[in-house]
Amino acid sequence: MRTGQAGRLSRALVGCHPRRWRERYREEMLDVLDQHQASARTVLNLAVSVLSTHVDPAYRTEALSLPRLRRAALISVVIAAPLALILGPVGYGIWQDDHWHPAADEGLVSAAFSAHAAILVTAFGVTLDGMDMVWDVTDLSRPRRLSQFEGGQPTTLSPDGRIVATVDFSHPVLWNVADPRHPARIATLPADAGGLRGQEFSPDGQILATAYYDQVLLWDVTSPARPRLLRTLDAPATSPPGSAGLPFSAQDIAFSPDGSILASATGTDQVTLWNVADPARAYRIADIDDPGAFAQGFAFSPSGNLLSVLYSGGTVLVYSLADPARPARTATVTGLLVRAKFPDGQSQPDEVLCATCIWTGEAVAFSPDGHTLTVIVNRTEMSANSGRDTIFDWPVTGSGTLGTATVTARDAADSQPFIAPSDRTVLGSPSNYHWRTWPLP
Amino acid sequence: MHGKFDDLGRFADPSLLILTSLADGPRHGYAIMADVAAFSGVSMEPGTLYGALSRLERRGWVRPLAAEERRRPYEITAAGQEILAEQVTTMQQIVQVARLRTAMAWGA
Repeated sequence: MRTGQAGRLSRALVGCHPRRWRERYREEMLDVLDQHQASARTVLNLAVSVLSTHVDPAYRTEALSLPRLRRAALISVVIAAPLALILGPVGYGIWQDDHWHPAADEGLVSAAFSAHAAILVTAFGVTLDGMDMVWDVTDLSRPRRLSQFEGGQPTTLSPDGRIVATVDFSHPVLWNVADPRHPARIATLPADAGGLRGQEFSPDGQILATAYYDQVLLWDVTSPARPRLLRTLDAPATSPPGSAGLPFSAQDIAFSPDGSILASATGTDQVTLWNVADPARAYRIADIDDPGAFAQGFAFSPSGNLLSVLYSGGTVLVYSLADPARPARTATVTGLLVRAKFPDGQSQPDEVLCATCIWTGEAVAFSPDGHTLTVIVNRTEMSANSGRDTIFDWPVTGSGTLGTATVTARDAADSQPFIAPSDRTVLGSPSNYHWRTWPLP
Repeated sequence: MHGKFDDLGRFADPSLLILTSLADGPRHGYAIMADVAAFSGVSMEPGTLYGALSRLERRGWVRPLAAEERRRPYEITAAGQEILAEQVTTMQQIVQVARLRTAMAWGA
């Protein structure tokens, strides 16, 4: 095949990808092809890409327009069919590789709870590129699946359980799940080059806050199909984008229970409190001092007078918000890494051994009565290739000091644990159809 | 831990090369291909590049930056750096064992 022909065929094949793929990658791929010396290998590689994206759950929802499908099928079949006979055995090997570790693929990776409705929206590892599931969690130990949809990573549900906000290719997307058996995509908010950090509904469900790398946007979602931008809040970025913040985390932004204060994590480690009592005139009220680590989650106490921040590296700080403009630190817990359990169930006091550890802060929450603070961390020792979630519980005094920690450990199930907000339960799922719950004290 | 690297299946190797390429700063598509070819000798095709990039993006291990005309640079995230460090440690362990065993086999 001549270079010119290969180039033309390659460019035609880029146009044969599914619509959502084209919208996102077409221009970039054409730019790459402008610079790339296309060969028969390029054409074959793109034909495989066309076929695999069309069967990918993340892209196959769209109705394929017939002429485009015909063109894609024609080009792909003409090129791929003769080679399929030769490459069939190789392809089968690749397929087997993709399906080699079903147990590790299927764990729960994302969950959005509703404050008041018995609805849960989840995404699983095996469907990270596609399927979300809507569950009836009237009995949390026995979630009942109601429907599924292809919407990215679910992050937060409106308090009434009618709207779920997901992240799809960096875009915040709103889905109507008022009829949980028939979810419908209703709005897409703009992505931001700096990356989405988190999103959260206000307690009255009227505002959606989206935290990006260096700004927080407040949207009026009283008409969710037509979100209206109310306010853009510029957040200080304490380090350049090249140093890379943490990826999207549902806990990177939180409203106080009365909806008057918003806590956000922006940049790599900047924690800011905003007065959002009047969202259209929201303003910054305080920056939380930086312990030199990534903020990985927030929790307001039920009365709103305390804020707990979970940092990477195993630090938990509690602040009194008696005067929100001057958050006063009331408790400092460090060294959770050392106190977290190893797979053999033993604490490992020797810090040196932790050079081979990966530590993840998973969740932080106050109990509904405000008397207990719970933090879940995961500590994986790479040489053992096995992790363990450790649950820490502290009694909390009214002034925000913490008592002695109770430590509960359990085996990590290759699954992200979530703390259900209304009842004291940790939820995890090692696979699509197996749920585990752990009661908290 | 969740979001394991092995889940990437046939995109695991290209993903490792892409994360390595982005480890010292953001690069756009063709710059990644050229860089990977320079440091590893692997000539990656565009279909593989974007198949792997889309998976890395969805896992939060890379993120797109603002496009400069048609070129969109990508940068590695902290989670991407973490998973890359994990892979490198595993590879170092393999290299160490392989060196030791080949040395023993050759009687060195």
